[in-house]
Amino acid sequence: MITKLNFSKTCQIQRTGLVLAAVLFVAGCASTPPPTGPIATARAAVSAANSAGGNEFAPTEIKSAMVKLEAAELAMVKKDYLHALWLAEESEVDAQLAEAKTRSAKAQKVAETLREDSRVLRQEINRNAQ
Amino acid sequence: MRNNNYLTLSLVAVAILSGCNSMSHNAALTDAHANYDRAHNTPPIRQLAPLELNQAKDSLIKADAALRKGESTEAVNHLAYMASQQVAIAHLTAKHKTAELAVTHANANRDQVRLEARTAEADAAKLQLAIVQEVSEIQANDLAAAAANSESDQAIIALQDRKLNELAANSESDQALIVLQDKQLNELKAKQTKRGLVVTLGDVLFGTNQAELKASGVSNVQKLADFLKQHPQRKVLIEGHTDNRGSNSLNQALSSRRANSVRTALVEMGINSNRVTTNGYGELFPVASNHTAADRQLNRRIEIIFSDDSGNIVPR
Repeated sequence: MITKLNFSKTCQIQRTGLVLAAVLFVAGCASTPPPTGPIATARAAVSAANSAGGNEFAPTEIKSAMVKLEAAELAMVKKDYLHALWLAEESEVDAQLAEAKTRSAKAQKVAETLREDSRVLRQEINRNAQ
Repeated sequence: MRNNNYLTLSLVAVAILSGCNSMSHNAALTDAHANYDRAHNTPPIRQLAPLELNQAKDSLIKADAALRKGESTEAVNHLAYMASQQVAIAHLTAKHKTAELAVTHANANRDQVRLEARTAEADAAKLQLAIVQEVSEIQANDLAAAAANSESDQAIIALQDRKLNELAANSESDQALIVLQDKQLNELKAKQTKRGLVVTLGDVLFGTNQAELKASGVSNVQKLADFLKQHPQRKVLIEGHTDNRGSNSLNQALSSRRANSVRTALVEMGINSNRVTTNGYGELFPVASNHTAADRQLNRRIEIIFSDDSGNIVPR
């Protein structure tokens, strides 16, 4: 942005500035290191969500996480590291959501069962008491 | 070349500007903010999922900064997506923890219910024990009462035995009495008839057409008087009967007089006149045919009808 305002200097300087600006721009937007760490984290999160029972309780979320993990790996191969990073991060958060949804649903079930047990027990006692 | 360069520079600048600065607004980010604010204003989520909410907040701050710095829509969208997913995770975490709390509560509740059940059982057992004790007390009382009753029963039985013995003794004396009565009645030649005991005294008591007792008749009447003295509850009806010789009215009068003679004799022998009634029937009730002398003798008779022990006599 500054380069744009100072282009009234010598052509050499202008050229240098232009190249610098272009490099800065590319570096600012694309200078992402290969996101091996985030991809590994995402893979672990997907696996954790799967073993928690995500396929049963959060099929949409787990599917999304797996698709994004694959896409991240593909982007890695294409050396599109920025997209690989974003996809890995989104895959991880989707997997975390799937796991949270699964655990919540399970806890809900347990609570429901206990409530029912309690109700039955109380009914039984009341009957015995009569 | 220069112009070209300028043009290139300009295009690049435009590209930079459009890429980073053209978006002062991002729909996904606005949604993410709204989601976050809603979650943050829900006390259970704020209390139960503070970590997850904080992560969402961090993502939002990053997204806001990216938007402010004019980073690509894709970048802002990515960060907004991360924030929204983290808000959703915060929701679910809160839900999960609420359920866990419910489980804990349910367990406590169940324990409470079980405790109540045990208490109820214990109370029931106590009650049962109390009932058993009460019942056994009642039974003990019953047994004591029964023992006491048994003693009094024994006493009653002893008394009854004694009474029975007395009765047996009485019975023996009654038997003796009955034997005596029978003997006396036999001597009087008493007959058991529908009207009760009847003694028939033959015409040997009187002379022909006479109403005065002969001496032999007096002894028969004496036996009768003895019997009546021994059985003061009995009364007698004395009936006079004749055969069919002579006029009916004469026979009627004769039978009455004869019956009265017997009555007079009994009263003289000490029998209360109240106990003796008389009736003369003449020839009305023969016991034989009147064709032969022997039959006519059977018809001439005095019948003495004894009352029962209550003094009742069955009339003809």
